[in-house]
Amino acid sequence: MDDSAKQVLRKIIRRIPSNKLQNILSKWEHLSKKQFRSLEFTQAKWLLCDNLLSLCEENDLSMKHVTELEMIYRIENPAQGSWNVCQLIDPSEEAVTVDSLTFKDSFKAHLKHLISHVSVKMKKHEDNAIWIRIAWGDNFTQPNHLNPTYVVHHLQTPYVFVSGLTAKHKPFLHQALIPSTHYGGLKDVHLSGRCLTALRDLLMRQYKQAFPVKHPRLLQEKSPVPSHPNIETEHAKHTEKRLQMAAEAFGEGILPKLETAVYKLETRFRENGMPGRREEPFRGVVKFSSSNLLESLKNCVSSGMASAPVTPLLSSITQKGRNYFVITDKGPGVSHTQGRKI
Amino acid sequence: MEDARECLGEGVLKHLNVLEVEALALSGRQQLCLQQQSRVDDLRIMVEKLRAHRDMLKARAKTNMSLQHLKAVADQRNVDCNEDDINAGGSSRTAQSQLSFLVARRTQVKDLLQAHHFIGGYDVTETGRGKGVYISIATAFEGLYLETYNLELDLGHVVQICRHNIPPFIPLEKLAQVHLQTDLMDFLSALSDHLNAFAGRRQQVCLIQEVLLGSVEVMESNVLFNTIVLMCKDAGENGRAILCTLEYSDLSRYLPTKVTIESEDQDLPSTPWWKESQSLLLCTPAHKAFQALKMKGLIA
Amino acid sequence: MEARVSAITTPRNETAPHRRTKSYGFSRRSLGVELTSHFGCTPGQLTAVRIPTSRGIPKPRNLTEQVDPEHVALIVKKEWKLSYVTPLYQFRHTQLQSYSKQLASFLVAEKQQGVAVEVGQELGFKVVFTAALGLAETEDDAETVLIQIQSKSAFAAEGETAKVVWSGWLSCVSGDVEYLKALPPDFTCLPLFGTSGAESLTTLVMSWFERTFDCYFGPLGINSTNLEWLAALWTGCHSDTNIRYLKLAWTVPAQPPLDVSYTVHPQDAWELWDSIRQESGLRDTVDIEEVNCFIRGLESHFFRHFRIYLSAGTLTKVATSLGSAHKDGKIRIASSDMMTSVLALLTECALLKMPI
Repeated sequence: MDDSAKQVLRKIIRRIPSNKLQNILSKWEHLSKKQFRSLEFTQAKWLLCDNLLSLCEENDLSMKHVTELEMIYRIENPAQGSWNVCQLIDPSEEAVTVDSLTFKDSFKAHLKHLISHVSVKMKKHEDNAIWIRIAWGDNFTQPNHLNPTYVVHHLQTPYVFVSGLTAKHKPFLHQALIPSTHYGGLKDVHLSGRCLTALRDLLMRQYKQAFPVKHPRLLQEKSPVPSHPNIETEHAKHTEKRLQMAAEAFGEGILPKLETAVYKLETRFRENGMPGRREEPFRGVVKFSSSNLLESLKNCVSSGMASAPVTPLLSSITQKGRNYFVITDKGPGVSHTQGRKI
Repeated sequence: MEDARECLGEGVLKHLNVLEVEALALSGRQQLCLQQQSRVDDLRIMVEKLRAHRDMLKARAKTNMSLQHLKAVADQRNVDCNEDDINAGGSSRTAQSQLSFLVARRTQVKDLLQAHHFIGGYDVTETGRGKGVYISIATAFEGLYLETYNLELDLGHVVQICRHNIPPFIPLEKLAQVHLQTDLMDFLSALSDHLNAFAGRRQQVCLIQEVLLGSVEVMESNVLFNTIVLMCKDAGENGRAILCTLEYSDLSRYLPTKVTIESEDQDLPSTPWWKESQSLLLCTPAHKAFQALKMKGLIA
Repeated sequence: MEARVSAITTPRNETAPHRRTKSYGFSRRSLGVELTSHFGCTPGQLTAVRIPTSRGIPKPRNLTEQVDPEHVALIVKKEWKLSYVTPLYQFRHTQLQSYSKQLASFLVAEKQQGVAVEVGQELGFKVVFTAALGLAETEDDAETVLIQIQSKSAFAAEGETAKVVWSGWLSCVSGDVEYLKALPPDFTCLPLFGTSGAESLTTLVMSWFERTFDCYFGPLGINSTNLEWLAALWTGCHSDTNIRYLKLAWTVPAQPPLDVSYTVHPQDAWELWDSIRQESGLRDTVDIEEVNCFIRGLESHFFRHFRIYLSAGTLTKVATSLGSAHKDGKIRIASSDMMTSVLALLTECALLKMPI
């Protein structure tokens, strides 16, 4: 075990909270059962780390094994740093038949062809997601194992989830992903957040959407909305309608946990009875944030703090699967959003 | 007075005593009578119940018999149409008419179902604003209902999909490009095929994991369930591992288009019974095919 | 300052009696004085301070000519937590040096008593009181006082500059003239108290002031009306200094709470404000209606897009590159140009909040 591997291991151990350390190390298959049992997790972390290092020396482990540990930790705890989503476009015939083994080999080969000094590690997760860890270096430096890029992709789906990617390395990743998945290109879908599963559920439509049915359930059967003391409860029928609209726009049950949504407004300012009518757009940025944005917005609609029907700008978050929008006045009628049709 | 005194002396109390004894005996007899009466009533009710039960069983037996008869008749019809006329006669005439009624009802319901399917067979609801419709497409495999998918269509001068819960690996956009503006029914049936095939493929994998636990293992599958690698063991003594790869290149079908069988023993895939199994897998749902292989004793 | 219209605003009237009772408990002596001089002789003075419905147009003032740039630099850029202070009894600007010593020994004494003060290796404190002359706008305003607490480390080398661990200031800019004039001569009114540093030190400094000058401190929040005034005031400056952005932040009481921030392009914000000003005729005062119109305009532009009623929530923060203000009473003044205008508005808030 060389010094750099030792250093990286120390830093990784430092990052993992003490209460998770035991679980993470138990999943790392490079210590014998006896060795694992010899570790005392009640010890101070630095002491534990020293013991662990000597075990690693004993087993003749290298950087490769150390990065595996980091990957295990990251897969178990994906909510670190922000995830951005890209979409693969123009699939070729082969795109539906790519299997994980060929994808792995092809991706590695393509990336290594583009850039030397890059360390790639891949792992197929239980839910069929392929996790890719890339530590980048350049012609003069060794791969930086402390700030790796993580890429998560489900084969046969067009979505790629990326975390910790710098603008410098972006073209390399894109150029390796496109041929190995047999697609024609990659574009940003303008969706980001900390919770990877939420982004995935939103795009894969794995959350419960509400659709109207011929025989709607009674209001009492659905979960009641906690009423706000400052807001008078309106007519029950209106309440029911609002609840239905809120559910249709944002979903039912547990909603994907998005933190923010950003709208760049470039629309004309045309308030009745207001001076300042002019032709040029009124520029501004609106940012919504909450611990669970969709839940908050849904609550706004169902409690009457937002007027019904739900504006397409807000329902576009779930329907278009994105949380960054540029709004302009193009086209007739209401504000137009740029983005995918479906 | 004398009498009275006499009576008071001894007779009255005695008399009262006698009367009391008599009254007691009488009430006892009455109670017995009543008990007997209620027992009789209970028994009557019981009899009624049993009669009803008998009638029900009789009716059931009758329908069962007539169904068997129907089957026989139908089979006979297939075999020989002429014989049918001779057999149908006499006492079984009333049963025969009842039967024809049942058959007619059944055909009617079937036709209705088929008609529903012909016109699309989708649940359509108008949206609140009246400009569009919600369509739900139910999926099923082997008679079991699986997920229902929904679409909200905007029926303006250009038909648009506004909202749906169809997973991204179903080529919705491609199908929409081809059919949506020209023929909605074509679009929906193509989509329904894709969804049903997907649900079917997934259900087969689930069933394999359930029914063939410990015998066939799912080594590899993907979100679309269009490449599935299964591992089983040869039933022979050495129990050679056999890898079976099912590829579904037609995504609107739940049966594979290509089946590859690999084994440590290179000759095994070309043996006649494995050749046969290969073609069985091409035309039978995987869980059924493997169950059959297990029954035949080909796999452990 | 413009003459104040008295009867329009209600909040003051509603809380006035409440405030009077409150003052019994907190400021014995000042109440006594009031009872004899204010309450007894000129009762009208008690409710003289009103929320203004119009203000003079703030003019950027180049402070550096009148105020020591070092003093200005101390106030600018830091974020301050605001409190109000009742008038100080027998406070003398000439005694600042002695106050420095007194506060320093007070802090050491408190520390030795085992009061929880996070001091680490420090042996003692050095306190500096300075008068920032020139910030006062009228002759009735008392001059602003700056306070700095430096820690003396046991291991500090000779000549090494001591670390400033806490700073604060007491100020009065354009305070209500009638109110100030009516104060008895022994009182100095510096109603606005800004602090930056450990909470525990703030508490100690406050308690020293309360003991020494018989005054009372209370938290000073900035209500939405004042936040809106500040937003308009800063936006109006854009023609002179680039405000870079106008950011308004609301919290809507949804479950979970929803934070909404609206950042407006500076030029567009200024043009909107300017058009409102033009509409109501160019005068040298700004009316509350204009400020209302400006903010409601932004809110309805927002509503047109999102259909969320911001009025259901609360305005929590306004910010431009010139400064920011939070409803909890946190303020950052990034440019010295607008410092006096902002301090004047905050002085007014403090005077209104004060239990007389």
